[in-house]
Amino acid sequence: MFNKVLIANRGEIAVRIIRACRELGLDTVAVFSEADRRALHVRYADEAFLLGPAPSSESYLRGDKIIEIALKSGAGAIHPGYGFLAERSDFAQNVIDAGLAFIGPKPSSIAAMGDKGIARKTVSAAGVPVVPGTEGDGALTDDQLLALAPDVGFPLLIKATAGGGGKGMRAVDHIEEMPGLLQAARREAEASFGDGNVYLEKLVEGARHIEIQILADTHGNVVHLGERECSLQRRHQKLLEEAPSPFVGDDEELRQRMGAVAVKAAQSVEYVNAGTIEFLVESDKSFYFLEMNTRLQVEHPITEAVTGIDIVKEQIRIARGRQLSFTQSDVRMTGWAIECRVNAEDSHNNFMPSTGRIAHMQLPTGPGVRVDTGVYPGFEISPYYDSLISKLIVYAGTRAEAILRMRRALEEYRLVGVRTNIPFHQNIMDSHRFMAGQFDTQFVEKRFSMERADQQRESNPQVAAIMATMVAHTQTQRSAHIIRRSKRDTSNWKWLGRWERMHR
Amino acid sequence: MKYITTIDDLQYTIEIIDNHQVIFDGVPYEVDFESVSGQPVFTLLVNGKSHEAYIYDDDDGGWEVLLKGALYPVAVVDEREHRLRAAFGSGPTQSGEYNLKAPMPGLVVSVLVKEGDQVEEGDVLLILESMKMQNELKSPRAGVVSRVNTKDGDHVERKHLMLSVN
Repeated sequence: MFNKVLIANRGEIAVRIIRACRELGLDTVAVFSEADRRALHVRYADEAFLLGPAPSSESYLRGDKIIEIALKSGAGAIHPGYGFLAERSDFAQNVIDAGLAFIGPKPSSIAAMGDKGIARKTVSAAGVPVVPGTEGDGALTDDQLLALAPDVGFPLLIKATAGGGGKGMRAVDHIEEMPGLLQAARREAEASFGDGNVYLEKLVEGARHIEIQILADTHGNVVHLGERECSLQRRHQKLLEEAPSPFVGDDEELRQRMGAVAVKAAQSVEYVNAGTIEFLVESDKSFYFLEMNTRLQVEHPITEAVTGIDIVKEQIRIARGRQLSFTQSDVRMTGWAIECRVNAEDSHNNFMPSTGRIAHMQLPTGPGVRVDTGVYPGFEISPYYDSLISKLIVYAGTRAEAILRMRRALEEYRLVGVRTNIPFHQNIMDSHRFMAGQFDTQFVEKRFSMERADQQRESNPQVAAIMATMVAHTQTQRSAHIIRRSKRDTSNWKWLGRWERMHR
Repeated sequence: MKYITTIDDLQYTIEIIDNHQVIFDGVPYEVDFESVSGQPVFTLLVNGKSHEAYIYDDDDGGWEVLLKGALYPVAVVDEREHRLRAAFGSGPTQSGEYNLKAPMPGLVVSVLVKEGDQVEEGDVLLILESMKMQNELKSPRAGVVSRVNTKDGDHVERKHLMLSVN
């Protein structure tokens, strides 16, 4: 049994895991890159060790160094968070071989679900429906894929077998554009996962992306914690999630049916710890297995809000060999939770990443608001890691109340120094289609535009005009003042002397 | 001082007497305008109504005002300059070179054009990776690539001039 945990991650998730450890009375060890010496996770942890230079390949992806630090510091377990090494079965195996506990699933489960080809084969053998696509787990060449494409049917998706988070993924409408997109997908997959292998999957249009959170202990108990709605995405990156899903709503039968299938998929790979099964759900409520994320998810807090279960603490308890403290019938979803991912991306400039020093930050607070973040005023947002600045989570009794609360919280949110996608979230919260729950995975890219949304908002150009004019005026006055200085009658040397004395 | 302030096709005449009095299209208003501790966050009280906005210099002589989630591009010119511009046409024209500057620090994944290439509006010029995302930077207009200042694998700083289209 371990009493000290090394967190092999950075940013908000490292802080989140440290908090869970603290509440459980466990000591924490942080690791950091040269760019993160002053990061919050380093400041919060009991111990912290340098990994190496800023690029992740020389720091957060150095599994060997991380295990070495764990052994040296006397940590008994490693929590990988999400991203980086979280879904690398070889790393999980090395952790176990070093005599440490890996707070996550077994390496064999990671491997089985990590290769999307094998995952599709395994779960469909267990009777779980999968999205039609190329079968088998071998590497296919571009020529083979081009030949198979018409059978899959257009539009289709090129997906990285090692993939996740939308990396190495491309939608194809016509076969003519496929060679170029194959190349782009392979290039991105190679850069992100060190593996350029891809497969094809039918693009189910008008579908929703709904996922089921599961928890499994080492004693064979597997429960699901209900669903999360994750359809609002851009370039296959989730931007906003909610629990429950407005599409599932009060259809308890559908929820339990999806939950049961998710449990079955997890059992097919003898899954242990926290995991998420992603489904595509069509408008007739038929659903297909998309993939399983064998780790903690970014959006886990909304499930925590509606179930009252602390998923990170449960992960640690499971890794310590404990039984789940509840059964399926104890799990109830009450109320409504929404999470907005606040990214350093300028939503008014095509979501271009924005880097820089956070000069000023005032986070929303008050009833029903939770903010998970790893940044603070003075912290530098660097180009080396992902753009997530914080997760803003609200919880309320009903969906309508949650939306109103999120609007209020977004308005309170002040962050100066980098541009963010907060205006995007504000426009979504005002969108009638969002309010009515009528959206699918293509809503953001195909039916939503910032310009149009801006125009539909209650607009106040007069106030904007007055404020800009006053700022411009102040600036003009200031520069005029500087020019006037040279007109002073005393000599410059005398003036300089006085000025220096004044500032002494 | 009197200013002509434009937002898209809306034009206002705003005279600033001091920090507490403005005349907006001929109507005087009592205002209270403050910067929040030196940040680009400003608070404005007009007739008791409280407004807060981010105001950025857009690097192009104009302003961007982010007010309640909506972004307003604002052009402010003083009356004298406005008269001059009206007399001599609409100021600088849109000809000349387009300089593609790095919008953020990052890694040049791939330069897709070379000097002398003919490009169309919307053509991808290069791919810049930042924050684990690959961003396609496109040409805003047709032209000929006159200069390429970077190559695959380069790390560039923000505002680094990467290439030009003539």
